[in-house]
Amino acid sequence: MKMEAETARPALGEHEGEVRVSDKRAPARRGLRICNGQGLKRMIMAGTAWLERNVPHINALNVFPVPDGDTGTNMFLTMQAALKAIADSPEHSVSAIAHKVAHGSLMGARGNSGVILSQFFRGIARSLDGKMSFTAPDLAAAMAEGSATAYKGVLKPVEGTILTVARDAALAAQEAATTTRDLVVMLERIVEAARASVARTPDLLPVLKSAGVVDAGGQGLYVVLEGMLHYLRGETIEEVSTTLAQTVDLQPLAGGYGYDTQFIIQGRDLNVEAIRAHIASLGDSVLVVGDSGLIKVHVHTPTPGAVLDYGIRMGNVSKVIIENLQEQYQEFMARQPVPTTTEEITDIATVAVVAGRGLTEVFRTLGVSAIVPGGQTMNPSTEEMLQVVNQLTKDQVIILPNNKNIILVARQVQELSHKQVRVVPSKTIPQGISALLAFKYDADLDSNVVAMEKALDLVQTAEVTRAVRSVEINGLAVEEGQIIGLLNGQLVTAGSEQEEIVLDLLARMEADQAEIITVYYGEAVTAPQARRLVALIQEHYPAQEVELLDGGQPHYCYIISAE
Amino acid sequence: MEEAPLGKIEVAPQAIATIAGHAVISCYGVVGMAATTLRDGLAELLQHENLSRGVRVHLVDDQIIIDLYVVIEYGVRISEVAHNIMSSVKYAVERALGLPVAQVNIHVQGLRISDENGG
Repeated sequence: MKMEAETARPALGEHEGEVRVSDKRAPARRGLRICNGQGLKRMIMAGTAWLERNVPHINALNVFPVPDGDTGTNMFLTMQAALKAIADSPEHSVSAIAHKVAHGSLMGARGNSGVILSQFFRGIARSLDGKMSFTAPDLAAAMAEGSATAYKGVLKPVEGTILTVARDAALAAQEAATTTRDLVVMLERIVEAARASVARTPDLLPVLKSAGVVDAGGQGLYVVLEGMLHYLRGETIEEVSTTLAQTVDLQPLAGGYGYDTQFIIQGRDLNVEAIRAHIASLGDSVLVVGDSGLIKVHVHTPTPGAVLDYGIRMGNVSKVIIENLQEQYQEFMARQPVPTTTEEITDIATVAVVAGRGLTEVFRTLGVSAIVPGGQTMNPSTEEMLQVVNQLTKDQVIILPNNKNIILVARQVQELSHKQVRVVPSKTIPQGISALLAFKYDADLDSNVVAMEKALDLVQTAEVTRAVRSVEINGLAVEEGQIIGLLNGQLVTAGSEQEEIVLDLLARMEADQAEIITVYYGEAVTAPQARRLVALIQEHYPAQEVELLDGGQPHYCYIISAE
Repeated sequence: MEEAPLGKIEVAPQAIATIAGHAVISCYGVVGMAATTLRDGLAELLQHENLSRGVRVHLVDDQIIIDLYVVIEYGVRISEVAHNIMSSVKYAVERALGLPVAQVNIHVQGLRISDENGG
């Protein structure tokens, strides 16, 4: 069974960014009617590679059901496990490859979306069982089986998720099978349907709509299918390696978890003790076991290269596995430690917990030493904060949690760190900014903390968001999806119009007594919308200076401060 | 369970069980919950309305401990599904109550084989 797609593959070159399937340009090649196991393997490789590129983007979509922002990472790790299972497989039988993919993804499944993906592959493998190659009708049947299998795994399938996208893609495949035998054309239709399905997810799942995002798992599946299409069209994506280390260099590795590095050393008269001692000097979580002829090494290290070099000097190295241990969205986002000039003048470092590009920028320009990404729906862990604190060059650290849910975590850091850590309990972003403004470079730690705590009360904070569930608090009945207004962290008002809520909040803040009203608009709000709101505020408060900033924060449409 | 300025807020374990039950059934891979009070040792698949019978909530020294008795789809990675259940339930309960959940224990009471040799 000759694999046609293996021939001429005009390079896509540096085709970065979005490649829209709906582009009407002629695909590189047409007329692929049959595909064997090696072809499927290449498709999986391309799908994984394309997914890898989109991991940060997909992670950023994660709001449901557990807002930990790692759907993209989980799906990628699952695909990577599938790919590992077939990377060295020479089989031409599509059945053999599909079963290995199913097994690999099953064993390596991560997160909900990863488990669903593995079930999808399981259905596909079962449908392709015993086949040497697949044609368009085979693919349609396999996709249908994959989708059906995925649906069987849950008691209460939620529509507007990866399940919906899988089913819509499978339906498109079946429809395409009635009019074409060309796998490229068919996959084009599948990808198009998947994309349209992803775009519809907010209509099916209100929580997505209120967060202003599409479903992350669905997006992940669409990206994988799109990557496969790139391959079938003869467009290359730099192929993903079966280890992560070569491609992921997103964060500086000062301490932290580094890379999980494993390999086997074969040799003669190997000294297990000496090797263990040396490896231990290069990293932690060290596991060196074996005898004088064969040793298995496992270590977490920031420098896998150095460990490997050492291994090679000792003997023959094989079965090398290097994996990046930093998998969290927060860590993807925390690539930039922010050394600023202000650090040079004072012995005190400041750390703020901030979400949103614009707000991060605001804190940075105010001279904060380090930023821990986080906020209402993504509280950083104690460990994460501790790591940031310990990495600072200064021994005196002030933490601004900027959220009441994070204050406790910050206090734990205070206890755990060997540094002199103080927490200024800022409950909102404007409080954090106010506190940071009160920071004096020439004052000592204690007087700074006192001054910053005082500054917390100088600012009033209003936050506008959508209720994610119906609730009754402070005698106020709120319907899910309604706009709600919080004053200094307390729910005080609810309604259907944003403007109304904002004006109500400003009145409660006694904004007419303030000098400056600052509006930070969130990622769900467009600049023209925000400008209209500011014009309205200015109309009601002609004596106040109204400032508008692109906060880019998730969750809150608007954060408003009056001081 | 929690001292508020105006008085006490008490949440019955049954209420926590309901929250947990709903979080569990929306987890991928879970196809049912099993009653825990069976004498014959056979897990009985529960209907929607009494899902919370598959959930046990204990309070030990003010710590919330949740035991879940679930039936999982045959063929999925059970360890990963269990892990997903733990984080979903912990998240759902903590979000609703504002109190930390100390433990979420998963008891897989059975597997459902739904696909035979279909396809």
